[in-house]
Amino acid sequence: MRSISRREALQTTANGFGWLAFCALARGRTLAVGSPLAVKPAHFPPRARRVIFLCMAGGPSHVDLFDHKPRLHADTGREAPPGTMGNGTGRFVLNGSPWKFARHGDGGMWMSELLPGIARHADDICLINSMQTDQPAHPQAVLQLHTGVTQFVRPSMGAWLQYGIGTENENLPGFISIAPSAQNGGARNYSSAFLPAICQGTVISGDTDAGMADIRNARRTRDEQRAQLDFIQRLNASRLRKDVVNPEIEGVIESAELAFKMQREAPLVMDLARESEATRRLYGIGEKVTDSFGRQCLLARKLVETGVRFVQLTHGDWDHHRQLAAGLTKNCASMDRPVAGLLADLKGRGLLEDTLVIWGGEFGRTPHSQGNDGRDHNGRGFTMWMAGGGVKGGLTYGRTDDYGYAAVESPMHIHDWHATVLYLLGIDHERLVFHHAGRDFRLTDGHGSVAKSVLA
Amino acid sequence: MKPTAPVLAAIFIATARLVHGAAEAASQAAIAPDQLAFFEKNIRPVLVQQCYKCHSAEASKVKGGLTLDTKHGLRLGGESGQPGVTPGKLAESSIWEAILWEDDDKKMPPKQKLPAEVIANFKKWIEMGAPDPRETKVAAAGGGKRVIDMDQGRKHWAFQKPVKKAPPEVKTEGWARTDIDRFILAGMEANGLHPVKDADRPTLIRRIAFDLTGLPPTPDDVKAFVADQSPDAVKRVIDMYLDSDRYGEKWARHWLDVARYAESSGKEVNVLYPEAWRYRDYVIESFEKDKPYDLFLKEQIAGDLLQFDDKRDQAQKIVATGFLAIGAKGHNNRDKRQFIMDMVDEQIDAMSQSMLGLTLACARCHDHKFDPVAQRDYYALAGIFLSSDTLFGTYKGVQNNNTSTLIDLGREAAQPAALAKISSAEFAALKRKYEEADKAAREAESEVRSMRTKERDKAGVSAFLRIRGTLDRAETVRADLDQFYEDGTPRALAMGVLDRDRPIDSPILVRGDIKQPAEVVPRGLVEVLCAKGEPLNISRGSGRLDLAYWIASKDNPLTARVMANRVWLKLMGSGIVPTPDNFGFMGQKPTHPELLDHLAVTFMENGWSVKKLIRSIMMSRAYQSGSAHDAANYAVDPDNKFHWRMNQRRLDAEAIRDAMLAVSGALNLYPVDGSPVARAGEGREGLTALYREVSSKPLTCRSIFLPIVRDQIPEFLSVFDFPDASLVNGDRDTTNVSSQSLFLMNNSQAQGAADAFAARIAKMEGAPLDKLKAAYMLAFSRNPTDAELTAIRNFWNKFPDQAAQSGTPKDKVQYAALSAFCQSLMASAEFRYLN
Repeated sequence: MRSISRREALQTTANGFGWLAFCALARGRTLAVGSPLAVKPAHFPPRARRVIFLCMAGGPSHVDLFDHKPRLHADTGREAPPGTMGNGTGRFVLNGSPWKFARHGDGGMWMSELLPGIARHADDICLINSMQTDQPAHPQAVLQLHTGVTQFVRPSMGAWLQYGIGTENENLPGFISIAPSAQNGGARNYSSAFLPAICQGTVISGDTDAGMADIRNARRTRDEQRAQLDFIQRLNASRLRKDVVNPEIEGVIESAELAFKMQREAPLVMDLARESEATRRLYGIGEKVTDSFGRQCLLARKLVETGVRFVQLTHGDWDHHRQLAAGLTKNCASMDRPVAGLLADLKGRGLLEDTLVIWGGEFGRTPHSQGNDGRDHNGRGFTMWMAGGGVKGGLTYGRTDDYGYAAVESPMHIHDWHATVLYLLGIDHERLVFHHAGRDFRLTDGHGSVAKSVLA
Repeated sequence: MKPTAPVLAAIFIATARLVHGAAEAASQAAIAPDQLAFFEKNIRPVLVQQCYKCHSAEASKVKGGLTLDTKHGLRLGGESGQPGVTPGKLAESSIWEAILWEDDDKKMPPKQKLPAEVIANFKKWIEMGAPDPRETKVAAAGGGKRVIDMDQGRKHWAFQKPVKKAPPEVKTEGWARTDIDRFILAGMEANGLHPVKDADRPTLIRRIAFDLTGLPPTPDDVKAFVADQSPDAVKRVIDMYLDSDRYGEKWARHWLDVARYAESSGKEVNVLYPEAWRYRDYVIESFEKDKPYDLFLKEQIAGDLLQFDDKRDQAQKIVATGFLAIGAKGHNNRDKRQFIMDMVDEQIDAMSQSMLGLTLACARCHDHKFDPVAQRDYYALAGIFLSSDTLFGTYKGVQNNNTSTLIDLGREAAQPAALAKISSAEFAALKRKYEEADKAAREAESEVRSMRTKERDKAGVSAFLRIRGTLDRAETVRADLDQFYEDGTPRALAMGVLDRDRPIDSPILVRGDIKQPAEVVPRGLVEVLCAKGEPLNISRGSGRLDLAYWIASKDNPLTARVMANRVWLKLMGSGIVPTPDNFGFMGQKPTHPELLDHLAVTFMENGWSVKKLIRSIMMSRAYQSGSAHDAANYAVDPDNKFHWRMNQRRLDAEAIRDAMLAVSGALNLYPVDGSPVARAGEGREGLTALYREVSSKPLTCRSIFLPIVRDQIPEFLSVFDFPDASLVNGDRDTTNVSSQSLFLMNNSQAQGAADAFAARIAKMEGAPLDKLKAAYMLAFSRNPTDAELTAIRNFWNKFPDQAAQSGTPKDKVQYAALSAFCQSLMASAEFRYLN
């Protein structure tokens, strides 16, 4: 009786996902009828199927990491030409990077000595040196990075993706944010806002042992739980018998089964001890400096491997107003090896070609110094990079001026970046809209153009 | 510090350039041949090559509403409201400004600056009077300047006053009980549908109890209702629940959803609002006492300006204006003007969506794209709110640059307090603590100020951080101190709105940009909602009183309709207008327009009594229908648009939680004093303290009293689709996701409720099966069917053994099974659905 009613409901589903949902069911996957997370057709063939966003909170210094500026180095200690920086009136002392830069890979991509691990993957990386954001203040820029806008309550990029293309693994949430910051918008950065609530990010604590909320039953064995669930499902089915068509109760039934399965699958996915020693070493797990972020990177790989659509990791703090030398060294040491390990691991498993790895923060930093040993916020030109997932490896895209202050060639605003990321996932940013409060909304909010030249 | 007049003035002084229309076109006289040649040679090719792609009628998308392919378009300009070219006047030609590439936001063409000689040609051309032979009229391309036809706009169904019509004739005899039924039945008959069987008594009382109180009926109530065969049994039950204190706690929450109620600022820096709960309690009391809805709205917009009976009444009316102060705000904004304009925008948005079902805030940056609402309408309203002082409290801190005082309601107002009285000695100690903290802050400041530049540079950020730290500490102590009078009695402070001394009008801000003020518009009302020729302007003060009376008026075509639709939606499961917060052009049309008008007009005739409106809907047969499936009806109307059956509805998060606590006997019905947020204290430490308080012991109060901190909604509520507390929301999502299952099975609060439920059952008299049946009655308000009894028996026979096998001590096995049983009932679909 259940399967008939479900089929009938699918046939009558007006939103057109019915057939796909049915196919998923036919393949033996659980999927609530008309679920907002059902796999949906892309606007065009996707180059990437999933995303790992390595969010570097605080604004990493692009001029010390990726944006090589010999002229800045040469002019260290001099004042920037009048009117070129800040609001045009202040005096700014230029400060070249104290770190050495070298070319890497076949494309000769410049990177600083702080990133030896990532540098080895230069030929898989598309470096974007011309990023721009609207306001160089943390809260606004972080919100813009995640939701496209600074002022209003809008869905996060991961939620848009959930809404746009659904999830590939109904045994796990499709959008997971590992250890997000509670600051600078907090939950806003993984929220679904007006999109269906199910599109929002599920938070996993940075302590990879803690896992997902309520995922463990502390008081019953699996068999006991199964017996209990069987009883619950008998009651549910009894209700269903009274109603020939009742997709909502079917939804309850299926989500309860999924939860039961998640209890098994999520801890398995999250159990890093099952990975080989070599893999763990690749990520720097077990070494003090890299252990924490290494675990998170490995977890990200495991999650995307099982079909989770969007995984975000947050690493920080990169807000080096002072003690730049020490701070940047420390941050890079804890980040470089895990990220390099992630790229290598994804590649080794054939996952990199359709997994988009994104690295970047809400803005970059000024080429002039702040205090003795620091740099201020800079949103007019900074660096992010993308790897795998259909981007052109080895390409350095865009350029800042000779001091690394403002993007002067192929500027890529956050809106453009969002448009490009969506494009890589097969989504037209102008067509992924949601009608709310009287108008259509989209991630790029009336802006954005796809940077076609970064596509492989 | 309050936002001061100079800050506001800065928005208004400035180069308010008036918008010039095309009327100012240059002489129509024939263009001199040499000038024509100059245009054709030097100007037209540039326009065609560099501009037409985005700025012509042929462009796939006209950018900025600016078309440059005709003289008319070029001179009129785009959405910015500035003329593209003013003959002879470079300063009044926006394209000149754009091609100079001096303003970062306005660089045209965007990719590359034009060569110097081309720019020079434009200068010469504009100065010679911008001769332009391209006389063709502007084609109405997508983004061309929009002129709103208000007469046409007034024809929109929702902008015409509701008119009560006689209920239609129906063919089916004997079904319709009330006028509402005749409207519903006529709709069914017209579509070939037929009503299904009425709901049975247990189903009906469960429906009524949850709808009115958010709680399940007690088994005694169910029994009495099933036994009561008198004709007015249903009415008696409805009235019993309407008169209960639980009614206010249920229905207030519906309003709090549309009032985007919360106890913190949300947005970038989540600052706590310790006094927001007063507004929540005001709403509860208003529903409980069935305050006329028109008065309820007037108080929320302009309670401070209404007449009052006594100090308590006055205090309540001021608390009502908290509606305008509790919205989400970006406290860290360094630009006060921006902060204020964003706050005003939020106020317009909340007010217009919740009370009028309109999205007026869409007209902030440009004329409304869909509705006949001009940007001028928006700034007319903005003037009203700019002329009012929004008092939301909070203290300065490292990320809080925008604070205000609160309103002291006074001792005589006899308002409740969230804090306990302290002794005058404690007060004195607190005061000393503040004085010391303040002194430390001043010293840190003067120390740094006295440094020489060189030293200061050397001290750098650390000096700054030290000052900041001491200042923050002083502010935190001041926040505590401000809570009390000298004798230690807690002060009754409220968020709310007061009129400013001198009202001000707002300029239109081009593209909503505070740096681009244009024409100043007088404070006023929304033109399309006023009869033609009716004065729109404000009679006195800020204009909030005019606004309040205008909204809460029988002449306003939207107000009563919007509320009637909200109430219908909550009781029937879908709105007559399916988009309860949008009655504009992009909202959906009513399924039963005449019924909506009937409800709206009757609502007003009945003195805007919400209880009477609720009762009239509940007394209808449509409300009392069963929810059974019917294949023939389903084939025609699967969405149940015509209400051939009652919609099956999932309970709200609050009702699920409250019901779990209620059946387990753990629900504390005593209203909470204030809020945990009020006791948490100021700043980051406040948030931490709050988290500690809430997570240390699960609260057992009704859900409406749980602390609602934006973006930190209690898991019990958020997991069951509690709405985003920053947005107006008249219709919640209901999802069925696995996290709900995980919560119900594994969360300690759910397990705690199951244990309490089990303990309650264990104490009952009778055989085990009788106890289980009693639990069933508590949870579902009905007896189990035979098939369900079999399932219960099976579980009961099997589970204890299983528990014993997996190592549960023998004496605990029965209890473990009982707890598992009770939890199963609460985790089943029936527990959270109404039939």
